[in-house]
Amino acid sequence: MTGRVIVITSGKGGVGKTTTNANIGTALARAGNKVVMVDTDLGLRNLDLLLGLENRIVYTIVDVVEERCKLKQALVKDKKNPNLCLLAAAQTRDKTSVTEEQLKDICNKLKKDFDFILVDCPAGIEQGFQNAVAGASEAIVVTTPEMSAVRDADRIIGLLEAREEIKSYKLLLNRVRPNLIKSNDMMSVEDVVEILSADLIGIIPEDTGIITSTNKGEPIVNDEKSLAGKAYNNVAKRIMGEEVPFLDLEEDSGVLSKVKKFFSNLIGKEK
Amino acid sequence: MAENILKELCNRLLSLFRQTEAKEENAKEVACNRLRVVLMQDRTNLTPELLQRMRRELVELLSKYVEMDKEALELNFDQDGDQMALMLSIPVIRAKDEAEIEDALKSDEDAQEDDESEDNDEDEDSETDNSDEDAQEDEVEDEAEEEISEDETEKEDENLSEDENSDKE
Repeated sequence: MTGRVIVITSGKGGVGKTTTNANIGTALARAGNKVVMVDTDLGLRNLDLLLGLENRIVYTIVDVVEERCKLKQALVKDKKNPNLCLLAAAQTRDKTSVTEEQLKDICNKLKKDFDFILVDCPAGIEQGFQNAVAGASEAIVVTTPEMSAVRDADRIIGLLEAREEIKSYKLLLNRVRPNLIKSNDMMSVEDVVEILSADLIGIIPEDTGIITSTNKGEPIVNDEKSLAGKAYNNVAKRIMGEEVPFLDLEEDSGVLSKVKKFFSNLIGKEK
Repeated sequence: MAENILKELCNRLLSLFRQTEAKEENAKEVACNRLRVVLMQDRTNLTPELLQRMRRELVELLSKYVEMDKEALELNFDQDGDQMALMLSIPVIRAKDEAEIEDALKSDEDAQEDDESEDNDEDEDSETDNSDEDAQEDEVEDEAEEEISEDETEKEDENLSEDENSDKE
């Protein structure tokens, strides 16, 4: 088996890298793939929390690198899905504890046993980023329709393009708020895609369900009704090569919009 | 009578909507435009000062050949996919005739000769004499300023506009 190593990165912090990682990983595993998530955010690990695995971690990636345990011993199995594993970051160490070469080596070993290796990248463009990218051949750049996030994404794209080992990168637009886009208060999906001129792999709507799902330690893709969950599931399908149309986020069923539609129809007829 | 009042009310209501719409359009457009400029600078290391200088020099060069509406001259960046393009839009009032062009070129050549001789003098003095170089730069800027005179855009940095004011006084 030769798995695909995908790094999930953003430049700016707080745009939803780790949430994206947890959800795409879970969705891919639910679809029957063997998935391992590698948290490279040394000193600021969070992926374990989002998956509800924080109490099960015995060994971390630093333990593997420093040969205190074997790689397989450090992999924590997900509670629900046996296809899903986590290689946790060390919480008490800093970004220099693992080198690019060591991460490359770990990814190469994991490739033999897994279909997908998702690498969760720390924020920033320093060594932590360089390490996380080292073993990957694909990248997902997470951004939101905000100026600072888009600017940082542009920077990250520039850095990814400079790295030969990254064969392709895709854009994931997170925390999209259709109402604000409609009222022209927020940049639209098209605006961001045009400005960054990158291929889109997903549009995730802002969803309060993300907060509750994080609190429970259960990725939102497990919730069939959630719109963000559906959107993440679609991203997973696109990664697997399926062609899935983007969700129509503008579809709103509020009373006000129905009234507006009624009147706009009336005016249209009069003309 | 009542009809008029009703119409008035309708118009006011409508204008209220139009106003808010116009405002809302700005937030997104402003964000897009600001981002385009800032990304252009990030990607190319072109600072606003350099852009302004480029604009000034272009005006200088082009005004030898055409008479143009300097105020309406626009220098922008356009993006088409991966390709970045520098868009210069110049409203031309009329092309200059040959005599005018020759005059302009001649005076330009003279100026260049002067510059060269000045340069040589400086070289003889000292190559690392910064104060002299600064003075020369200032001279160039002043000249350019006179040429553009009142077509300074909002982007123009404060120093220059201040200089302009003092000149007028």
